[in-house]
Amino acid sequence: MTTARDVILTRLRQAAGPAVPLPELPRLNAPRSDLISLFIERATAAGTEIETSSVERLASTIIDELTRTRVNRVAMWEDRLLTQTRAALRATPLEVLDPWDHARESVAGADAGITIADFAIALTGTLVLDCSPAHPRSTSLLPPVHLAVIPAEHVVASLGDVLTRTGPLPSALTFITGPSRTADIELTPVLGVHGPTRVKVYLLT
Amino acid sequence: MRVALFVTCLIDQLFPGVAEATVTVLRRCGIEPALVPEQTCCGQIAFNDGFWPESRTLARRHLDLFEGADAVVTPSGSCAAMVREFYSMLLQEDHNLTARAHHAGARTYELTEFLVDVLHRSDVGARFPHRVTYHASCHGLRGLGVRNQPLQLLSRVQDLELRTLDGVEECCGFGGMFAVKFAGLSGAMLETKMRAIEASGAEFVTATDASCLMHIDGGLRRQRSSVKALHVAEILASQ
Amino acid sequence: MVVTTTYDRRPTTVFPMTKRIDFEQNSEKALQNAPLQATLRTAMVRFRALRISAVEEIPDWQALRQHAHDTKAHALAHLDRYLEQLERQVTGAGGVVHWARDADEARNLITRLAGSSGRRVVKSKSMTTEEIELNDALEHAGCEVTETDLGEYLVQLAGERPAHIIAPVVHKSKEAIAALLSEKLGVPRYDDAQELTRVAREALRRKFLEADVGISGVNFAVAETGTIVVVENEGNARLATTLPRMHIAVMGIEKVIPRLADLDVFLTLLPRSATGQRMSSYVSFLTGPRRAGEADGPQELHLVLLDNGRTAIHADSSMRESLACIRCGACLNVCPVFERTAGHAYGSEYSGPIGAVLTPLFEGLDVAGDLPFASSLCGACGEVCPVKIELPRLLLELRSRVVRQRGAPVAERLFVWGWVNAMKSARRLAIAGKVARVVQRFMSAVHLPLPYPFSRWSASRELPTPPAKAFRERTL
Repeated sequence: MTTARDVILTRLRQAAGPAVPLPELPRLNAPRSDLISLFIERATAAGTEIETSSVERLASTIIDELTRTRVNRVAMWEDRLLTQTRAALRATPLEVLDPWDHARESVAGADAGITIADFAIALTGTLVLDCSPAHPRSTSLLPPVHLAVIPAEHVVASLGDVLTRTGPLPSALTFITGPSRTADIELTPVLGVHGPTRVKVYLLT
Repeated sequence: MRVALFVTCLIDQLFPGVAEATVTVLRRCGIEPALVPEQTCCGQIAFNDGFWPESRTLARRHLDLFEGADAVVTPSGSCAAMVREFYSMLLQEDHNLTARAHHAGARTYELTEFLVDVLHRSDVGARFPHRVTYHASCHGLRGLGVRNQPLQLLSRVQDLELRTLDGVEECCGFGGMFAVKFAGLSGAMLETKMRAIEASGAEFVTATDASCLMHIDGGLRRQRSSVKALHVAEILASQ
Repeated sequence: MVVTTTYDRRPTTVFPMTKRIDFEQNSEKALQNAPLQATLRTAMVRFRALRISAVEEIPDWQALRQHAHDTKAHALAHLDRYLEQLERQVTGAGGVVHWARDADEARNLITRLAGSSGRRVVKSKSMTTEEIELNDALEHAGCEVTETDLGEYLVQLAGERPAHIIAPVVHKSKEAIAALLSEKLGVPRYDDAQELTRVAREALRRKFLEADVGISGVNFAVAETGTIVVVENEGNARLATTLPRMHIAVMGIEKVIPRLADLDVFLTLLPRSATGQRMSSYVSFLTGPRRAGEADGPQELHLVLLDNGRTAIHADSSMRESLACIRCGACLNVCPVFERTAGHAYGSEYSGPIGAVLTPLFEGLDVAGDLPFASSLCGACGEVCPVKIELPRLLLELRSRVVRQRGAPVAERLFVWGWVNAMKSARRLAIAGKVARVVQRFMSAVHLPLPYPFSRWSASRELPTPPAKAFRERTL
């Protein structure tokens, strides 16, 4: 019995003409300016807030942010970079949702989601988030605010640089450039359509 | 260098002044172009309309007539583009002709690109004391890459005040048979172009293609505008 | 003021399109719609400026275009191999690959999958699912389908078709949208795009949280790793591919690219060409369903590989390059014809210059043979295409096929015949020219209406005044 697969592949093989070479990957001009400042400039242009911080100050900085914005519930990744912050948050009245507590209704009800970013792309102002049991996808998606922590050494120039550095691919590798947006209504830019309305990056130097 | 003048059917029949101006300008640059009396049409209108066999008849004739010239110069971006860009597509099934088509294409020039890129002239001794705005005809612009040459030449015309045209690279709406097949759309595109021309404050609108100018002029006169259309060659020939 | 468009829609049945798309009639209707004209002009001018700024920033832009073109040409030349590799990799990552010869087959298998998972479906924007009219089939089978891309959601509420492949409601004013939401959701008529968006966000959030199935399109599928790439700004595709237990990704077979590293080039070209952004808000690289221990992500990932006419285009050597299209919409945005007609006039979900090529190829020249002629061949489309599809050439090729296959109206054939015959010799042209001048002088003296095609010219333009003598008579 001929399957759709057989039919389609047969047609394609029959139509194949002369071989066409696969082009080598182009060597693109690398950005000239300092990557960190380029990332800050481009991410800011895309609507991301950036605050420089340090490993020592991170926990208190985040608590200040959450207190200031009157956050009650926060969804959070588990990560080496966030250990101190998690411990500090547990000492507050804030409700902290761990990765294994990420039932969708509860994360949807969180006021903020805290993740790290594996990489930041300077050329486009983009954060790169992987996915694993300790790093759920919805943390950076359901709550209206996304806070992302990234060490400055993880800022690279381009998407190509991320791809050469990243190991085997996770189930989801997410590239985030600013808050959720649309311009569908009369081309008026509106932030916070389905994803977060605010994205804030803590750049650890 | 043996230079032949490719008049184009449109200019021959409807705008002979443009051909005369072209000859004048070339003579001022020390070129005496051969007029090739047997020439008629490159076949573009039939080609664009999908009538390829009919177009081929005229294309073959064109190739034969202009075989001997070192350079073929035409005051028409679209006709030059037809030869350079599309003759090889039109004649691809005839192996004998494809090489000749390529060769012809390499030797065919629109007037302003011939003056600037081949003769290396920007000043052709012209004077035209008026406000002029330039419309970038599509085939010359995108087909041949004629972008700066007309502006370079116009900038050296004495007493000419060049006004920028809003949407300079937007199509005027002619497009051959498109102008009659989709007359509504063609008219709407013309309307946009005319509004930009009026807004530029120019007294004259110019371009490298008589077909665009015929269409634009038709609209300007219908609207009783004071702006007149004039081919780049005619401006360059003025003294 | 409500701006509406009511053009002929494709029949929502399984029968193929049989009614000829009358582009002249459709465009005339659009031209008479002054609010539509104003809305479109503003939108297209804006898109053009955004694209130019984003492109000017990349000094290697032309090299990138060429690279993308060559990569696609290679992938298409070896498409069977890459699809097989894609299938192996997706399967290896825990996904399931399905092949569909045509829209019917795709609709049936997707409906079966959706039904097996539950009946609540959320969809993110996908041209391919519009092409196969998936929503109708799902609804027929008892599924509740919600479009979640804001523009598509609004279009769904209005019971219309999208007007642009990137900006589905580009033809609707804010007031029209406010009226629509007010009518359908019972909310007040908001004045403000922000408020209107918030209304849609809240309405759709619930749908996401309750959905059983998420259906998305695919911007790129990487053969090397079995990775599905989804590009978006709103976050609805992320939600649709994260929350429901089943994710169904639908892609045309031409979307496969060879290597992960190729994405650097394609993701540089796509957002800048589409909306003038350096990068869209969200790009998801999805490789298989959720893995053991993960808190979210679909339990099942299904990839549907759709032919539906693509193998025929692939086999057509002059037309194959049209399959390189990455659906950026740049050609629509620069097209002076699209600017004045928007998507509905093209009678298909594929509109603009690429639509004028694909629709005749998909639906046949009898149905869509007008479309390649609805162009002044200005070439703006070919100039901006990020994968360097030579759209004007494809339009010209299609024109010659239409004339060969469908013929042309008598008046037009007569005109071309007359023209070419007059041009066969200098003597004939000289005589024909003289005769024409005499006739024209006579006709304007007695104010006779001119025959086709001159009659149409005169609707908005004066005819040129013929000179007393042609150039050949003056000098030659």
